[in-house]
Amino acid sequence: MGKVKKKRVGFVLDMTPLVDIAFLLLTFFMFTAKFKSDSENDQKFQIKRPVASADTSKLPDQNLAMIKIAIDTVSNDTSYYYSLNSEVDRKIVYYASSVNIPEEMRSRVQLKVDLKQLEILVKQTRIANIKMRFALDADRKIQYKWIEDMMDVMRKSNATVFNFVTDKQQ
Amino acid sequence: MAGGGSLERGPKVKRGSFATKRKKKKRVGFVLDMTPLVDIAFLLLTFFMLSTTLNTPQTMEMSIPPDTDNVDVKQSELLIVYVRDDSKIFKSLGGDEPVPVANLKELRSLSINENMRVKNKLITSLKFGKKVPYGFVVNVLDELNLAEGELTQKLSAENIKRERKFALTPMTPEEIEKLKTL
Repeated sequence: MGKVKKKRVGFVLDMTPLVDIAFLLLTFFMFTAKFKSDSENDQKFQIKRPVASADTSKLPDQNLAMIKIAIDTVSNDTSYYYSLNSEVDRKIVYYASSVNIPEEMRSRVQLKVDLKQLEILVKQTRIANIKMRFALDADRKIQYKWIEDMMDVMRKSNATVFNFVTDKQQ
Repeated sequence: MAGGGSLERGPKVKRGSFATKRKKKKRVGFVLDMTPLVDIAFLLLTFFMLSTTLNTPQTMEMSIPPDTDNVDVKQSELLIVYVRDDSKIFKSLGGDEPVPVANLKELRSLSINENMRVKNKLITSLKFGKKVPYGFVVNVLDELNLAEGELTQKLSAENIKRERKFALTPMTPEEIEKLKTL
């Protein structure tokens, strides 16, 4: 109390390093940020993936065909969804004459399909691009029979290697 | 940002004839208020930091037997793991009656011990009931994957290269009935 408070007139703090670091972080996060794709934007479900212990294999970015099994949040129906992540592959596969989906659906990224359509799509995909990898992204609450049916389709299409998409155990 | 660094760069610009002609205004003590810039920068920074998800999904590779071949296997080298609709695990060794398995940890040691017993020749067949949640299926597969690391190590000590023989097969109606009674 008895101390005389020193008035600091014209006190200047050099903010340069702080701002440098801030901008560095900003650019880092800006470049690493991945935003929701179009297909994820118009889907009416959210997938809670099953958890598995840490594995080094990550989901590939290219040549990926994703089969999703999800529960619709509005109607509570379980259904299959199929999407290819490359535009070129989509053009070939979705517009193939043997694929029997409504004309207006062909331009979409993600298709809601039944098992028959799924089988044709998987076969077409394998014809279009032999390097294609299949990944199954399903909700952890899905009953196994959906997975079994889907694996049956994969077996019939000779796509015997595929991936389960999981989340890392925390 | 006009002339932000003109204080230092001032003398250097004097190259060329016209630069000398122009009357250069000396801006002593020029201060640009950086506060709004820094504010926006931090705002964006927090936005991107909060919106990024750092845990990218990972994958678990699965292979299923092709449609065509039916392989005959030795009963003594076959381990069948059943998972009933209520997520209870049972094991059946060499065609014996299914015996309950207490938990996932036991399943892991079971896989290791049986593989060691028959020296890498064990064929594991997994049969899941139709109503088992997918999350549990992945847990079981994960547990068997975890056993692999230890197995590879133990087998290489005996100079055997680990080859995994493993299949996901559908449950037959008889098996479903049998499991119900257990």
